[in-house]
Amino acid sequence: MCGAHAAVRSLVKEMVDQYDRPTVIDMEAGLEHLSRGTTRNVDCLLAVIEPYFKSMETGARVNELAKELGIKQVFGVANKVRRAEDERAMREFCGRRNVELFGFIPYDDTLMEAERAGVAPLDYDRTGLAVQAIDELAKKLLQVNGAL
Amino acid sequence: MKIAVAGKGGSGKTTISGTLARIMARQGAAEVLAIDGDSNPNLAMTLGITREQTSQVLPMPRTILQRVTDEQGNAKTILAKRPDEIIHDFGIPTPDGVTLLVMPGVGHAGAG
Repeated sequence: MCGAHAAVRSLVKEMVDQYDRPTVIDMEAGLEHLSRGTTRNVDCLLAVIEPYFKSMETGARVNELAKELGIKQVFGVANKVRRAEDERAMREFCGRRNVELFGFIPYDDTLMEAERAGVAPLDYDRTGLAVQAIDELAKKLLQVNGAL
Repeated sequence: MKIAVAGKGGSGKTTISGTLARIMARQGAAEVLAIDGDSNPNLAMTLGITREQTSQVLPMPRTILQRVTDEQGNAKTILAKRPDEIIHDFGIPTPDGVTLLVMPGVGHAGAG
C-alpha cells in the first residue's frame, strides 16, 4: 500500500465529507478509492464505460462496489459510442450486470481536435456531439436530484 | 449534489467531469467545486484554463493533511484547515466560475 496514495484519498474523502456545495470529483483511475471508501459520501457515482469488454467489466465492478458502499445513485455512462452495435452490446451487458445506463456519449472527433488546439471541449465547439450529450447528462442529473 | 466520476484511465472521465462541472455552474449552481483526484492536468484544460496557464495550476500541499493522535491514543488523519479555507487558499478559479482543487501528486511513474 502506497502511503502517498492513501493520503490523497483521505484528503479527497475529508473534502467531500466536510464541504457542502456542489462538487464534481474526477476520481483516480481504478477501483482503490471504492474499496477504501473514499467516495462513500457522494450522492451520485458515474461509472464511465467504453464499448469494449474490459471496460464494461470494470464498470460492472465499480457499480457493485459503489452500491456496496451505500451510494444511492450509481449509474453507468457509456462513452465513445461509435455505432448502434456498440450501444446494443452495452445495453445487453449492463442489463445483465445490473448497471443502470444513464447516458450515451457518442465518439466525437472534435474532442481530439480541441485537445490538439489546447482548448476545452466546451469552448471549442458548444454544439459538438459529445458536449451536447454531456449537457443532456447534466440536465438529467439535475432532474433526478431536484436541485444542486 | 456531490458527483464522483470513476472509470479506467483514458475512458474520458476527465472530459466528462470537467464539462459537467462547467454546465452545472452555467446553470446557476453557486460555487461548483471540481476536485482533481488523479493529478490530471487535463481537468484544468477541460475547465477552460489555457495550455499556457496550466503550469500555474498547482496542487495543494500535502501538509494540509495531518496525522494526529487523540486522547485515547488513536491515530487519525485530519484536515489542517477548514474546507472553505482550503478552497480560499488553494482553489484555482476557472472561467465559468468552477473552482478547481488539485490533489497532491503521488508521482505516477513507479509509484502505487
